[in-house]
Amino acid sequence: MIVQTALLIGLVLFSVLAIVLRDLLRAAISLAVASLFLGIIFFRMRAPYAGVFEISVVAGLITVLFILTIALTKAGGDVWESKTVNLLFPLFFAAFAAIDALVMKGLVQKIPALPSAPESGTFGDMLWRGRTLDLVGQIGVILAGVFSVLALFRKRDKND
Amino acid sequence: MIILFVALPLVVAGVLPLVGRVSRRVLPDLLANAALLFLLVYAVTAGRSLIAGGPVLQQINWLGEAVNIRLALDGFSLFMLLAISLVGLAACLFSVDYMEHYGAKANYYALFLVMIAGMNGLVLATDLFNIYIFLEVAAIASYSLVAFGLEHDELEAAFKYLMLSVVASAFILVSIAVIFGMTGNLSLSAVAKALQELQAGPVVAICSALFIMGFGLKAALIPFHAWLPDAHPSAPAPISAVLSGLLIKVSGIYALTRVFLNVFGLTPSLSLVLMYLGAVSIVIAAFLALGQKDLKRMLAYSSISQVGYIVLGVGLGTPLGIAGGLFHLFNHALAKGLLFLTSGSIQQSTGTRNLDEMGGLAKRMPITAGTNLVGSLAIAGVPPLNGFWSKLLIIIALVQAGHPGFALVAVLASVATLWYYLLIQRKAFFGKLNERWAAVREAPFWMAASTVLLAALCIAVGIFFSLAIKSWVQPAAGVLAGGIRTVISSWGF
Amino acid sequence: MINTWYLYLFFSAGLIFAGLFGLLAKRNLIKLFISIEVIAKGVSLVLVATGFTKGNILLAQALVVTFIVIEVSLVATALALIINIYRRTQSLDVRKLAKLKG
Repeated sequence: MIVQTALLIGLVLFSVLAIVLRDLLRAAISLAVASLFLGIIFFRMRAPYAGVFEISVVAGLITVLFILTIALTKAGGDVWESKTVNLLFPLFFAAFAAIDALVMKGLVQKIPALPSAPESGTFGDMLWRGRTLDLVGQIGVILAGVFSVLALFRKRDKND
Repeated sequence: MIILFVALPLVVAGVLPLVGRVSRRVLPDLLANAALLFLLVYAVTAGRSLIAGGPVLQQINWLGEAVNIRLALDGFSLFMLLAISLVGLAACLFSVDYMEHYGAKANYYALFLVMIAGMNGLVLATDLFNIYIFLEVAAIASYSLVAFGLEHDELEAAFKYLMLSVVASAFILVSIAVIFGMTGNLSLSAVAKALQELQAGPVVAICSALFIMGFGLKAALIPFHAWLPDAHPSAPAPISAVLSGLLIKVSGIYALTRVFLNVFGLTPSLSLVLMYLGAVSIVIAAFLALGQKDLKRMLAYSSISQVGYIVLGVGLGTPLGIAGGLFHLFNHALAKGLLFLTSGSIQQSTGTRNLDEMGGLAKRMPITAGTNLVGSLAIAGVPPLNGFWSKLLIIIALVQAGHPGFALVAVLASVATLWYYLLIQRKAFFGKLNERWAAVREAPFWMAASTVLLAALCIAVGIFFSLAIKSWVQPAAGVLAGGIRTVISSWGF
Repeated sequence: MINTWYLYLFFSAGLIFAGLFGLLAKRNLIKLFISIEVIAKGVSLVLVATGFTKGNILLAQALVVTFIVIEVSLVATALALIINIYRRTQSLDVRKLAKLKG
C-alpha cells in the first residue's frame, strides 16, 4: 500500500510538472514519465494488459506524436504564459487536495455497492467475447482517426 | 439484422478511400448516397415490422456461434434511426454538389459515414460503455468534418469544439465508472434494476450532475453551449445540417433521456432541473439569436433554443410532454437541417453569410427561397407545418401538468423565434434585389433536390401530424414514459 | 466499497482537477492538449481502480484498452488540428484564436 501510494504521488507530481513546465519538450517527457508511473500502478493492481497498453501506447506512441508536433511547430517562438498562474497553481492544488481528502474520508463506506459477477476466463475471452461491440466501436474510432488525419493533411490543389 | 445500421456505413467508409483513387467523384457520391438510402428504406420498412411485438433484442450470430453483440431496437431507437437516416440522406445528397470545391470527396464521405455509423451505434447500444464509445466515434469524425475546409475560422472552431467536447466525454466516463462501482454492471437493464435496489440518493445525484454536464455539453444546453455558435457556422453546410439536426440530439439528448428516464428514473427534482435547463436555453439563446448578422450563427443559436424546447418537454415527464418533446426533436432535425442546407445554397451562390449584404434573393433563387420559408415557418411554429404541432403539444402538456409559467415562457420565446426568422426572410430573400446578386443562379440540382425533399417532409408531417404521431412518436414516447420498467422488463437478455 | 477505492478516487480527482486547471490557465495549444492527456490519465485510473476493487479487473482492463485506443485517435486528430493552426497563424497561442466571438 505504501509503495502504491508513493507511485500515485509520483504520478500526480509528474503530471502537474507536465502542465507547469515552460519547455514543451520537457513537458512531453514529464508526461511520458507520468505514464510510466501509471503503467507500474496498473501492474501492481494485477492489470498487466492495461499496464502494457499504457506504457507502450501512451508513454510511447502518444509521446512520439507530441514530440513530432513540437518539432513541427518550433519556429514560432515561445507563447507567453502568465507567471502568476504558475504560482497560483500549487495553492489551488493544495486547497483542492485538502477538500478532496475530506470528501473522500467522509465518503468512506458511505457509497453503497452491489457485488458484481465473478470473472472467469482470460483477458482475451473478456475482450473478444465479453465486449465484442466495443471492438466494432474501436474499428470505428480508428477509421475516424485515420480519415481525420488524412483529411487534415491533404494537399490543397487550389489556392487558399 | 440490426447490426447493418452500424456495420454498413463502417464498411462503406472503409472501402471509400480505395474507390476514391479510382473515381474521384461519381463512385464515391453513388456509394455513400446508396448506403444512406438503403439504411433509410430499411429503417422505414423493416423497422416497423420488427418492433411490432415489443423491442427487438438481437444477439448476433457469427458462423453459428453466439457473438456477444447485443443491440436493442425499441420505439425510441427506431424513431432516432429514422431521423438520422432522413437528415443524413438529405445532407449527403446536398454534398454531391456542395463539396465539389472542397476537394477530397471520398475522404469526406468516409468521415460522414463513420459519423452516421457512430450515431446509429449509439441509439442501438444496450450498455453504458458502448454508448460512450459510439459517442466518441461520432465526435472524432465530427471534429475533422468541422475543420474540413482548413480555413482559419474552421480550424479555430474545431479546436474549441474538440477541447470542450473531450472534457464532457471525460465527465461522462467518470460517471460511468462510479455507476459501475456501485452496481457492478454496465448494461442498461442491469444498472436500472440495481439502482432500484440500492437507493443510493446522493451518489446517484452526483452521477446525474456529471451526466448533465457531459451530455448537456454535447447537446449544447446553456450554460454548456459555448462551442456551438462557432462550430456550426464554420462547418461546411451539410455538416452543419447534420451537427445541428442530428449530432447534438443523438449524442446529447438521446443519451441523456435514455439514461435519465429509462435507467435512473425521473425523480421530481431531476425533472425540475431539466425543465429549468430547457427553459433557460430557450430564452437566452433566443435573445442571443436576435443580434446576429451571420445567417448561420443565427441558425446555430436557434438550435440551442429549440433543443431547450425538447429538453423542456422530455424533462416534464408526462406522456404528452415526452411525446411533444420527441416530436419536436424530429421536426427540428428536419427543419434545421433544411435551413442549414439552404444557407449553404446561399453561401455557394453569393459567397456571403452576412444578412446585411443579402437582399431580394427570392427573385433569382426561388426554390431556395421557398424551401427556406418552409423551414423557417416550421421552426417558428406556424400552422399547419410540423413545428406548430410539436410546440403545441409541449405547451399543452406544461399547462396540464400545472406549470403555466413555463408554458408562458415557451409561447413568448416562440413569438421571438418567429420574429427573427421572418427577419431572415425579409433581409435575405424579399425586399429589393441587391445589385451584386443580379447574376446569381439557383442552386445546382442535387442541392435544390435535397432541400425540396426536406421541405416536402416538413409540410407532409405537418398536415398528417396525427398519423405521424400515432405511428412514430407514440411508440417512442411510450418507451420513455414507461420509465425504468420498460428497460428492466423487456431488455433482459 | 473497499477503502482503497477512495484512495484511488482521491488521486484521480486530483489529476482531473490539475488537467482542468491547466485547460483554463494555459495559453499554448500543445500545453492545453497535455492538460487533456492528464485528465485522460485520471479517467483511466478511475476505471482500473474501480475494476480492481470490485474484483472485475479483466473487465476494467478491456474498458481501459478501448479507452486508450480512443485516446490515441483523439490525440492524432487534435495534433493534426494544432499543426494546421500553426501553419495558418505561425503561432501556438490560443489568444490568436479569438477571431470568432463564441
